[in-house]
Amino acid sequence: MGLAKAASDAADVDTDTLLEIYRRTALINRTDEKFRALLMSGTLRLVYYPVRGQEVVSAAMMTALRPDDYLVTTYRGVHDQLAKGIPPKILWAEFTGKATGACKGKGGPMHITHPETGVMVTTGIVGSGLPIANGLGLSSLLKGDGRVTVVCFGDGSTNIGAFHEAMNMASIWKLPVVFLCQNNRYGEHTAFADSTSAGRIVDRAPGYGMNAVRVDGNDASEMYAAAKAAVDRARAGGGPTLIEAMTYRMLGHVFGSNASYVPKALQEEAVREDPVPRLRQKLLDLQVPEATLAGIEQAIDGVIAEAVEFALSSPYPDIGEIRKDVLGQEIAA
Amino acid sequence: MSFEIRIPGLGAGMSEGKLVAWHVKDGAAVREGDLLYTLESEKTAQDVDAPADGVLKIIGVEEEIYPVGELIGTIG
Repeated sequence: MGLAKAASDAADVDTDTLLEIYRRTALINRTDEKFRALLMSGTLRLVYYPVRGQEVVSAAMMTALRPDDYLVTTYRGVHDQLAKGIPPKILWAEFTGKATGACKGKGGPMHITHPETGVMVTTGIVGSGLPIANGLGLSSLLKGDGRVTVVCFGDGSTNIGAFHEAMNMASIWKLPVVFLCQNNRYGEHTAFADSTSAGRIVDRAPGYGMNAVRVDGNDASEMYAAAKAAVDRARAGGGPTLIEAMTYRMLGHVFGSNASYVPKALQEEAVREDPVPRLRQKLLDLQVPEATLAGIEQAIDGVIAEAVEFALSSPYPDIGEIRKDVLGQEIAA
Repeated sequence: MSFEIRIPGLGAGMSEGKLVAWHVKDGAAVREGDLLYTLESEKTAQDVDAPADGVLKIIGVEEEIYPVGELIGTIG
């Protein structure tokens, strides 16, 4: 357990796995860039939470999962949703409120849900996803379907009561849940040290008797090794794990917000340790040809262009849809 | 397909923006990422790039102030 174990496993991550992590990383990175470009040109207008800098954490975590495993994430979660495998077309359509979206355009970016790819729910309330993940984990345990649930949340949400309740319950019931804390150093506009009493999130786990590991989330091998170990453990009946993935939010909390409160030195350090070029260089060092990486990026740009066109040309939901999908059983209008 | 160019909403406090100057002529071809126009909002000037390849049709007038969301051009 702990950093040393994760680091020693890291050497074992094969090139094909790293390439798959890169493919998902590039999809996230270029999707995020495209959203910001279309917001800046005013072509789109929506509330958008940039995930620049956190690509590798999600890409490595979701690569360690089976397609039928479950994900619960937050409104700052486009990287998690894409890495889990939601089709970009229906993600874009939902973000833009169109009838062809994952929730027929009625959920928007705050509530991306696509059970077919295991994206079970996206919550808009900080910390609320953790007990929901326990519910999914309990259902898997009772049904014996072997699924693992990953729940993503930020460092700020570990100060919410639901985090502590969920950690305790998951531990005592040995639920197949991986608690992935993406510690990006800021809870909205508040620095970590100004809002969190623990020096490290991982230090909260022993209080609940939970296995825990803190890793450099921006290192694909280290992150994947920790993710794989936690997923394997959960699937084998060994119970939950808390992963504290150290990462950094390179842009502000929300598109258009002022992030001048971030110390210049911290921002410069983050740019130096940018996980995307870091993983790309690692693959080149492993003798993966430049043309292979460029081919992946080009294919992704095509997929994104198609998704944008699909979203922009799709209709808004019909007004008659407003009463549907609210209750489990439809009622007369 | 056609991409609309509208005054962007940069932060909750922004309600309008000034179209300072176009950097591309009406009817000219642009590439994604090319500098399109300069926007001034809350006393800050910012560059706005083309979101796609295509031909620019200019609608908005230089030095005018427009509300957020106003259509000022298209790329098609």
